[in-house]
Amino acid sequence: MDKAIRSPQKMITACLLLIGVPLIVVGGAMLFQEKHYAWISLCVAILSCLPLFICFERKDSTAKELITLAVLVAVSAAGRFAFAWVPGFKPVTAITVIAAMYLGREAGFVVGALSAVVSNFYFGQGPWTPFQMFAWGFLGFLAGVLAQPLKRQKIWMCLYGVLAGVLFSLIMDVWSTLWADGGFNLSRYLAACISALPFTIEYAVSNVIFLLLLTKPIGEKLERIKRKYGLFG
Amino acid sequence: MNTFASYHPAVLMLYFIAVLLIAMFTQNPVLLALALLGGVSFCTLLERPKDFLHNMAFYIPLFLMIAITNPLFSHNGVTPLFFLNGNPVTLEAVLYGLDIAAMLVAVMYWFKCYNHIMTSEKILFLFGKVIPKLSLLLSTALRFVPLFKAQIKKIHQAQKAMGLYASNSYVDKLRSAVRVFSAMLTWSLENAIDTGSSMKARGYGLKGRSHFALFRFTARDGLLSGAAVFLLALVLLGTALKETAFSFYPRITALSASPIAILAYLAFGLLVFLPFLLEIVENMRWKALLSSVPKHGALSLSDATPGKDDKK
Repeated sequence: MDKAIRSPQKMITACLLLIGVPLIVVGGAMLFQEKHYAWISLCVAILSCLPLFICFERKDSTAKELITLAVLVAVSAAGRFAFAWVPGFKPVTAITVIAAMYLGREAGFVVGALSAVVSNFYFGQGPWTPFQMFAWGFLGFLAGVLAQPLKRQKIWMCLYGVLAGVLFSLIMDVWSTLWADGGFNLSRYLAACISALPFTIEYAVSNVIFLLLLTKPIGEKLERIKRKYGLFG
Repeated sequence: MNTFASYHPAVLMLYFIAVLLIAMFTQNPVLLALALLGGVSFCTLLERPKDFLHNMAFYIPLFLMIAITNPLFSHNGVTPLFFLNGNPVTLEAVLYGLDIAAMLVAVMYWFKCYNHIMTSEKILFLFGKVIPKLSLLLSTALRFVPLFKAQIKKIHQAQKAMGLYASNSYVDKLRSAVRVFSAMLTWSLENAIDTGSSMKARGYGLKGRSHFALFRFTARDGLLSGAAVFLLALVLLGTALKETAFSFYPRITALSASPIAILAYLAFGLLVFLPFLLEIVENMRWKALLSSVPKHGALSLSDATPGKDDKK
């Protein structure tokens, strides 16, 4: 009975993904020919998040695991208020990386992507939300893939913090360039990158500081509840 | 102010997607001007006059900055106005800058309205069925944020009372903030496990659980979504037939005034001013209802009380 209900549902989902998605991407690009770069970049940002979100939905996770992730998401959003007296200092990337290091790549992705959504409920949603989800989500995923070296050596962790700050800045600059121009104008991209340089440096420095300060306290606590309650096994 | 916000979340989402789809992905100056006007007027309905002025102080300079910087990056176009450092500043690039600026500011205004109207519970209601786990995560996290902010404040005050914020140096301040943050995290993870156990005890994840929802889809929701889809279809028709196509480079194309293009403009104009119109209609209806109530409201009320009737 259960299988009979599920298999047509799966078929419909598969059809939607296989036919609907390309149709939307290509159709939109043809319809909005003048701005097809902006359209495709938005589609890529949203669609690249989909597989991991679907994976997460499919997986059996306990209520405790879900709430632990919710705490990490909320902590990274609330951290923007805790450190509000230093402008630009945001622990979002650091907490995403730490979550990925200790709870796995999928948890890292989910914490990063949802932190963007949650904090934007306070700082304003916009067309940039999917790109922030994409950027933070993938920084988390990558940190999860590199979890072992990051945990073992502090220097790798610091390097990753710098890399994450730079990558985040570069991804968001691609977005603003595509958005403003409709096409990829290299001189505008370089100008955007250079004018964003102080922010990039601040991101990188704050990431390293937060990683150095927070990895031990947060990591120990995550490690403890993981072992005590058998979560994220 | 609340007429539009009281519609069903699905209808509101559809409306915003329809408007943003056109505003974000068209280059046509007429459509963009309509989007900008509609967005600004909708926003004035939703915000206090003070906020409106505050916004203007931000968006007008932004508009000018985007419009002015475009000709510096883009030297396409065939009508040079003058040369700057040996590079031509063209008329097309200047006008294209204005076009992009209008698009960006219009989209920002529409997202401002979106943020006012699509509150988090509406979003969660919409996505709860499609992505139940992620929505649960999102709603829990959204509730935790104010809770954690309050907790951070409490811990901070406790530490201050203990004299732990003695020094004024930045390093010390940062370390104190981290200590507060770490304490808050311990507290919240501990709570999370309790919450998780409590959810399990109440049957989270079991089959056949229903959810409480405040929203109901009624006839007027159907009407509004039908209208939005119809108007969007008219605009998309104009776009698909390239009647509203417009390009700046290398030479500015003439604005099409064919019947289909005009129909598309009218449809989009109606679409962006729909919340505004609904508000006016609702106001008029309210006034009409008020005027149909007898002038001396208090007197008519006492007439209707049963006690007086008995005495008669």
